[in-house]
Amino acid sequence: MIAKSARSWIWLLYAALAVYAFITFIPFTWALSASFKSLPEISAGGADFIPKAFTLENYKTIFLQEPLFGRWLANSVMVAVTVTLFNLLFNSMAGYALARIKFPGNRLLFVLVLAVLVIPGQITLLPKFLILKSFGWLNSYQGLIAPALVNATFIFMMRQFFLNFPKELEEAAALDGLNRFETFFQVVMPLAKPALAAQTIFIFMGSWNEFLLPLVVMSNPEMFTLPLGLNAFKGQYVTYWNYIMAASMISTLPALAIYAFFNRYFIQGVTFTGGKG
Amino acid sequence: MKKLLSSLAFSALLLLTNSCRSGDKNEGAIEITLSGWQSNPIESRLLEKVIDQFEAKYPNIKVKHEVINSQYMDVIKTRLIGEVAPDVFYLDAFEAPLLMKYEVLEPLNSYIKSEFNLADFEPNLINAFKRNGNLYGIPKDFSTLALFYNETAFAKAKIQQPPKTWNQLIEYSKKLTLYDQTGKVNQYGFGITPELPRQQFIIQAFGGELVDRNHYAAFATPESLKGLQLVIEQYRHDRSSAQPSDVGASSGDDMFGQGKAAMMLSGAWTIPYFKETFPNLKFSTAEVPTINNRKGTMAYTVAYVMNRKSTQKEAAWKLIEYLTSEATMKESGSQGFALPSRRSVLKGLDSDRHSLYAPLIAGSTYATIWQAGETLPTILTNFDNQFVSALIGQQSLKDAMQKAQDTANREIYLSN
Amino acid sequence: MLNKTIWNKQSTRETVSGYLFMTPAIVVLGIFLIVPVIFTIVLAFYRVQLLGEVSFQFAGFKNFVRMRSDERVWIALKNTAEYVAIVVPIQTILALGLALILNTNIKGKSWFRVAFFLPTVTSSAVLTLIFMWIYNTNGLLNSFLGFFGLPTYNWLGDPDVALKGIMLMNIWATAPLFMVIYLAALQDIPESLYEAASIDGAAPWEKFWCITLPFLKPVTFFVIVMGIIGTFQLFDQSYIFSSGSGGPNNATLTIVLLIYQYAFKNLDMGYALALTLMLALVIMTVTLIQRSLFKEESLD
Repeated sequence: MIAKSARSWIWLLYAALAVYAFITFIPFTWALSASFKSLPEISAGGADFIPKAFTLENYKTIFLQEPLFGRWLANSVMVAVTVTLFNLLFNSMAGYALARIKFPGNRLLFVLVLAVLVIPGQITLLPKFLILKSFGWLNSYQGLIAPALVNATFIFMMRQFFLNFPKELEEAAALDGLNRFETFFQVVMPLAKPALAAQTIFIFMGSWNEFLLPLVVMSNPEMFTLPLGLNAFKGQYVTYWNYIMAASMISTLPALAIYAFFNRYFIQGVTFTGGKG
Repeated sequence: MKKLLSSLAFSALLLLTNSCRSGDKNEGAIEITLSGWQSNPIESRLLEKVIDQFEAKYPNIKVKHEVINSQYMDVIKTRLIGEVAPDVFYLDAFEAPLLMKYEVLEPLNSYIKSEFNLADFEPNLINAFKRNGNLYGIPKDFSTLALFYNETAFAKAKIQQPPKTWNQLIEYSKKLTLYDQTGKVNQYGFGITPELPRQQFIIQAFGGELVDRNHYAAFATPESLKGLQLVIEQYRHDRSSAQPSDVGASSGDDMFGQGKAAMMLSGAWTIPYFKETFPNLKFSTAEVPTINNRKGTMAYTVAYVMNRKSTQKEAAWKLIEYLTSEATMKESGSQGFALPSRRSVLKGLDSDRHSLYAPLIAGSTYATIWQAGETLPTILTNFDNQFVSALIGQQSLKDAMQKAQDTANREIYLSN
Repeated sequence: MLNKTIWNKQSTRETVSGYLFMTPAIVVLGIFLIVPVIFTIVLAFYRVQLLGEVSFQFAGFKNFVRMRSDERVWIALKNTAEYVAIVVPIQTILALGLALILNTNIKGKSWFRVAFFLPTVTSSAVLTLIFMWIYNTNGLLNSFLGFFGLPTYNWLGDPDVALKGIMLMNIWATAPLFMVIYLAALQDIPESLYEAASIDGAAPWEKFWCITLPFLKPVTFFVIVMGIIGTFQLFDQSYIFSSGSGGPNNATLTIVLLIYQYAFKNLDMGYALALTLMLALVIMTVTLIQRSLFKEESLD
């Protein structure tokens, strides 16, 4: 009896998942297919998922005709990787301190972290730009990396994750004579892998797709990041949807790959519905 | 952990070494920066070529060409505030009054020599960059609006001639609106873009004005409404016109190109765009139909302007002079995306170009320049906001325009 | 006595290590974000001209008084509040639900995980085009609704539904982000808790109610606060949908769009910053209410 109703529930669940997957999958697939279409075919407005005249021309144009493509890719990788590594360390340290260490000013610092989050980026852009200019960091990698070395959102996230950590682990570490730093690096961080994986995905994606700051900080085309460089296909009068689609696929794939790779850290989960196996 | 640390160290090293980058400037060479947007990548390449020629002519000047393709004015304003703006940059007439008012542009009067032949430029275009007798920009090119019509659709509806008057346009639109079996429209007679930059001349057709002398909004008068009412009536009652979002197109051009509208008003940029994007489309152009027996259209223009904080003003002027000289304009043109701003070059174009451009050129003598003082951004936002709501029948045109005008004027008053 | 000095020594050590842990964050946020925050707070009380001749004129509370009679501020606040009230609960529950399902051993979960995440990685320019295509009167959504005999709408043109359209798009694009955070949090639940509950004969839903949910509380607080901040700061979509005007008739006007219009289009920086401050206070208030509802604190 129970098994039977459970089975029909499962089918219902699968149906719901399939519908939702359809909703998330369709737009992406359409963009993917459009990246193999010619501009006239996209502009004609058809909703076909299979290109009438399959072409690689869009990708070829981007890879071969744009002399700076390689440079932009390198810039993006360099900035995103550096930013991600520093963030993983710095955000986790700050989040750990806010969650687990009792010190005067803890609450104030937490409120300041939240305060930073509530001011919209459109407003902080101008002062950020002026600060970078005063450092002489316009048109340089530091200009993009330095302001992004820590991220208030993920300090907040790491704090929330560390709040849940069992106290016994730290107590045991303290008994073993480890100081805070040793505890953090040897005990806490290895256990925080899922949170770190989530952070890696988001910070990499955020840095990879960042547009507004590079737009004002980088004026030299050689210093452009990929999204900025590929934006050139959005002309003043003509929007080259074919190139934009191909370009968006090129910049989507690394983010997707990072996601797929780090997903493994979310897999060894505990099931609550029924016993495993 | 070791791995993480070593990669951190590596990144830190990269940071340090990169901070030591230094330019390899030639001794004695002057470097100036030119910023603009691009219509398409080909245009950029053509401009690079012209710059090469310029550098060959003036070997001691190096030009750095930078393209800003998103939020152009936001970036320029930010860089102007940070005092790192380019020496020479593009400026749309629409944005010019604000920058002229804040005196961030260099007046060009003293640089212009008689050989430059300033009188050769369309006076309308020159006036758009003048304030208190100072000239702040040299028009690069311009475009007016013309009526684009689908020849195939006209032939099917047995219409021989494009409409000459707005009444005819409304008449023809009804004939050109086609339905499928289920009663859905699959071709509208007329495609509209319900935005102020395309509607200003309609406001003026019956004697209305967009702004008064003090740059306050003044478009809610009966005269202005009479013109705008034509657009609303056609959309609401005849249902023979549509805006791009009604048919799922991303722009008026696409709506026309996809055959979902048989007529529309658009500019020179559409002609090369259609050739590339809709190669099978058979279309032609005509002057904008008269409203109230008056000829009218819009004109959009862009100029090269000089940054007042530029440290290389002489070189910057040489660049502007070269880019807007008769020889350069004749030679490089704008690939048909816009019309040359010098009358001598325009004349040459008139005789040997196909008739597609003729109506656009004809419009230049009576066009309204898209510009109206430094308050225009506020007026534009409020007009667009409310005009659409009248178009979709949320409120009467009169109420909508009154609301837009009042809101705009209160904001203008408070920010002064 | 002795006890106290040891305690003091320990608390000093804790304070030092606390600040050492915070140093990178304090330095970077201090330079690049706290300075802008101070800039915002101070200049909100000035009339500012930054372009050309730079000038500051103390304006007292003028910028704030102006807000009171600015009808558009209230409309934007109302739109934004409605947006927050609808989007945040739906996206949080959706994200939690998806994470819970994908954390079980159902077949093909890796594929579902990738598929569900796709909206997040698709670029916003492409999303806009796709949504134009889905939302137009003859588009996919209306065909779908029509097929089931449901009413169809002019999603892009009709102000009554324009904001709903943006909401749908936003939920669709941000739910996967929070799903990932929930997935990560679910990995941290010690298996021993479930085992103990099983021994006590707890039903699956009891385990969910008494173990999983309480454990997810801190992360849920994060998800809701970030959801609130993100939705209060809605800008991109309404900018794209209305080409920056916030129309038709202010239907898609949001606070940040208004701030942007004043800061960049009208160059009225003082007023824009006053609006920013108001927005920040609203978000802070809502967050504090959240916090007291969650009674979230563990240090003590």
